[in-house]
Amino acid sequence: MEEFRFIDLEVHTAFENMAIDEAVMLSMKDGNAPPTLRLYRWNPSAVSIGTFQGMTDEVDVGFCDSRGIDYIRRITGGGAVYHDFEGEVTYSIIMPKGHRLAPSDILESYRLLCGGIVKALEHLGIEGEFKPINDVDVYGKKVSGNAMTRRHGCVLQHGTTLLDLDVNLMFTILKVPQEKISDKMIADVKERVTSIRDILGRDVHIDELQVALKNGFSDALDIELSPGKLSDEEQDTAARLAQEKYPSRAWNFSR
Amino acid sequence: MHESSYKIPGGKFVKIKLEISLGKIVDVKILGDFFLHPEETLQKIEDSLVGSTAVETTIENAISRILTESDATLIGATARDIAKTIIMAWNVT
Repeated sequence: MEEFRFIDLEVHTAFENMAIDEAVMLSMKDGNAPPTLRLYRWNPSAVSIGTFQGMTDEVDVGFCDSRGIDYIRRITGGGAVYHDFEGEVTYSIIMPKGHRLAPSDILESYRLLCGGIVKALEHLGIEGEFKPINDVDVYGKKVSGNAMTRRHGCVLQHGTTLLDLDVNLMFTILKVPQEKISDKMIADVKERVTSIRDILGRDVHIDELQVALKNGFSDALDIELSPGKLSDEEQDTAARLAQEKYPSRAWNFSR
Repeated sequence: MHESSYKIPGGKFVKIKLEISLGKIVDVKILGDFFLHPEETLQKIEDSLVGSTAVETTIENAISRILTESDATLIGATARDIAKTIIMAWNVT
């Protein structure tokens, strides 16, 4: 079975998390990093926006500042995601272009990699399905959002799986015109989004999701996860990106 | 500045921010939760639209041309959707 380096659940700031993902790509481009799967959480809690979104269009930056919630632009497209420290686990999977798990057809690529989430849900006793373009749904409600980029000679996909969900907080962080926050709209979102705790109706521990994701990706993608860590080169690059690029206004407010 | 938003049926969300002078685009920003590979193509599209007039098909063709030249893949939106949203912004007074 093919081996992937596995960097098991770590906790980082938003800036470190996005910096590490990019640092792995940059090392892989030079042939210095193996295909890699990471699991991570965000502390402080943070909101990430898609690379083509406008920060102030999507995020109530003032509210985030007042609550110590970080905000960051991703290098991947897609939408705004609130990464609650207690309420979700993020994964990233990175491999060289041309890898068998990175077909040139992008929708097919999402379907393949999101198979890891579907399988993880199965491990938790939940029947999920890939919902094109980039979601995983359970009975028609989104529980996981995913986003991919192809650059630096690599394919990176990262995504969130919701363990818990606070719709009111999500609405406060994500900028929706006040007049639109009606009870109806909140009800509508509850109809469209769900979480593992909601589905199972119990206090699922974050460790359970962590193990399910690990086994889900390993099973679905037929890969052997070999525990590993970042190389010195990756750590240096990540430290630089986490300091210079990802917290910068030039990056985060570029749109 | 002119702004418009369009939720593409069965697709993603596109938002346009447009500066116009003397009937031509001076600056355009295309925002949204769509996917575009390679991502740098969006900047090229925005640059190529400077000087365009309010003709939807011309704008659509210009976007399509850059997509082809850049061997780019746009997912969740089409050149036509973006052109349509630009014209929507243009018509906002």
